[in-house]
This record gives sequence, structure tokens and C-alpha cells, in this order.
Amino acid sequence: MAYLVRVSSVCHRGVRPLLFRSASLIRPLAAPKKDEGHSSLLTARIHATPSHYAVSGSSSASHHWKGERALSVILLSMGPLAYFYPGTVMDYSLAAVLTLHAHWGLGQVITDYAKGDSKIKMARAGLFLLSTVTFAGLCYFNYHDVGICKAVALLWSK
Amino acid sequence: MSAVCFCLGRHSASAFRSFTGSAVVRYVQTAAAAAPQAQVKKLQIYRWDPDTPGDRPHMQTYEINLNNCGVMVLDALIKIKNEMDSTLTFRRSCREGICGSCAMNVDGVNTLACLHKIDTNTSKVTKIYPLPHMYVVKDLVPDMSNFYAQYKSIEPYLKKKDESQLGKQQYLQSMEDRQKLDGLYECILCACCSTSCPSYWWNGDKYLGPAVLMQAYRWMIDSRDECTEERLAKLQDPFSLYRCHTILNCTKTCPKGLNPGKAIAEIKKMMASA
Repeated sequence: MAYLVRVSSVCHRGVRPLLFRSASLIRPLAAPKKDEGHSSLLTARIHATPSHYAVSGSSSASHHWKGERALSVILLSMGPLAYFYPGTVMDYSLAAVLTLHAHWGLGQVITDYAKGDSKIKMARAGLFLLSTVTFAGLCYFNYHDVGICKAVALLWSK
Repeated sequence: MSAVCFCLGRHSASAFRSFTGSAVVRYVQTAAAAAPQAQVKKLQIYRWDPDTPGDRPHMQTYEINLNNCGVMVLDALIKIKNEMDSTLTFRRSCREGICGSCAMNVDGVNTLACLHKIDTNTSKVTKIYPLPHMYVVKDLVPDMSNFYAQYKSIEPYLKKKDESQLGKQQYLQSMEDRQKLDGLYECILCACCSTSCPSYWWNGDKYLGPAVLMQAYRWMIDSRDECTEERLAKLQDPFSLYRCHTILNCTKTCPKGLNPGKAIAEIKKMMASA
């Protein structure tokens, strides 16, 4: 009990993070957190994850995780495949798989580090643009130039 | 009781042996070794007192003689608090790695002070910080309320679909089912693992962290629990579970030798096949 009183007194004084004094790194204390628009579930108030309760029931998060693992395995197997069977189909599949892999990977980085609604939206839009340009560029390269498989092979040719 | 008597016996024996009689030697083993050369070890300890206006976090250096101090970091902290600086604040209770109170960062590693030996290399300074990236209440005492609230949110107890039978009879479990809980139930919630996890540092408000997720897994696989699906469904968002990027700092730092990283991986597998 004394400890709780102690903590609340500290809270009133306003605890600043001590190791990293940057405003962007301050995360709100859980206990006094007021949750807006949530059901009155106790857990909802404590563990404030907006998406946690919004998507509860759907399994989008685990599907995404499964997709990432599957894509990684496909990408790993495409290395040797592209070595033995280079060609147009392989070029375009590589362009798609590489782009999607990078897109999802960077998406995780944004989820990890981007804070604030507007910043997250901007980062997502930027990533979408980047991935689109990457895919378009790789397709252009496949269509108008030697293609990905041949280009990698050329690294060893001279 | 017998242990206490034994200690007293050793104690008085060493006092006779030293022929001083007046000096009360607290730590018998080191004193009995009769090492006249003082082994002075420097400890740098994080200090911050919220009650002193304008006080800023700083490191304070203490010098202790390893010859009359116990071997563990907690022994040194208690010695400092008893004999040198009573304002030094830290949590401790069992002093044997069972309660998890004295979790702190010693020489860059989250550990229990009571299980971590003092580095006897006296040319090196041992640095002691509170658990990383936690709000500090005072000195080495972190604010654990977010951690405990997250633990509460996973409902760490048996849940039954039909509650009308509650308390009527024991829930039996096969030996094999009980064995599945080994390596999970031993967790003492010291928060060493969670506070060593970079994902938990950046998203500690939304990511549950290794300690809490391992307990979530412990209740999911308990044969007596009937709400595995509900428990899994609660983790269906990008943050609660999926901020784990298998960095495995948790497993590396766990002072109890448990493997939270593996437990989280098992949850991910269950989520994928559910």
C-alpha cells in the first residue's frame, strides 16, 4: 500500500524517463491511463491497444505472420531455382516476391518505430509509394533490359 | 533453526580464531580465509531521489572490501545500505532467487542481484542500474505497474467454460500434461526478460513482452484450462504478440534459465494453426 502511495506521489510530480530524455519516447503510465471509446472491460483499460479489441475475432495478424513465413521460404527456394532455370517467368516472380518481402519487412519497421497517427499514415503512404516504384522499376528492367536473373549472373561474368 | 545454529557456531569459531574478539565478523567464509590484503571493489550505483528538488540521476561510487562482504551483488548492496549509505534504495526480499524483487541491471545484464556474483576483478568498476527503460521510482526501484497490469490482462488463472462445477472436485492432470508446464511455471515475474527486449522498450504500452507472453502460453497449454481459443484470439493484433522479432535477449538474460523466446514461438505456431 505504501508503495502505491509512493508511486502515485511520483506520478503527480510527473516522472520523466531518465535514460532517454526525449519526448517522443515517453510512454504513458498504464495505471492512470484513461482510455477513450473502449468498453469498460478492465483489461481494456489497462492494456490499451486500440487494435487489440478492434480486430478481436478476426485472425488477420496471424494470417499476416503466416504469409511472411511462407514468402520467406519461397524467396529462399527461389535463389537456386533462378540459378538453374533463369527466364522471363523467374524474372517477374523475383520482382514480385522481392518487392513484397521488402514491403512487409519495412512495414514491420514502421509498426515498431512510427508513433502518432499522422506519422504512421505518412510512413505507410511513403512505403506504398516506394514499393510501387520498386516493382515498376524491376518490371521495366525485366522488359527493357536483361532481366534480374541475367543481371545477377553478369556480376560473375567478367 | 538448525541452519541458524550452524551459522552461529561457525561465527563464534571464527571470532575465536581471529583472537580479536571485538570485531564482529559478519561473513564467515571470507573472514576465515584470513586474507589481510583488502580487496577493494568499486561499485557505481544509479542514484535518483524524487524527494530532493532538482536532483538529477547520477552515478554514485561506493568502495567495498570484498574480504568482508558476501559474494553476491545483493550482499554488497545490503552492506552499503547497512554500513555506508542508508539512503540507497532497492527492492529485495528472499535473497535466494525466488521472489524476483531484486531484479536490476548489473554490468549491462538484467539479472537478480541475489544470484549474480560480484566480479572479483577489482580493476573493473561494477555498474548497477535499475531495469532498463522502466520509470524509476527511486534509485534502483522501477515502477512495475504497467508490467503487472499486462500480466493481469492475460487472466493468469484456470478458466472453465462451465462455471457451475467450480470447486466441486479437483481437476486432475496426467503426468505428461503436467510436464508440459515445466520450464514455464518457474517464472517469478522479475521482469528481467521483458525489460531486456528492445521491442518492449519501444512498444511497452502495447506489446505484452516475453514474461507475460510466456505466462499466457503457460495457461494456454494447461490441460485443465478450457479457454485456449479465447486466449489466442486476444493476441490477434499487430502489437500484443507480433512485436516479438525473436531477438532472444529474453532467453539470454533470464536469471532462472527459462526460455521465453521459445514460448512465444510456440504461441505463434498455435496462432498460425488455430
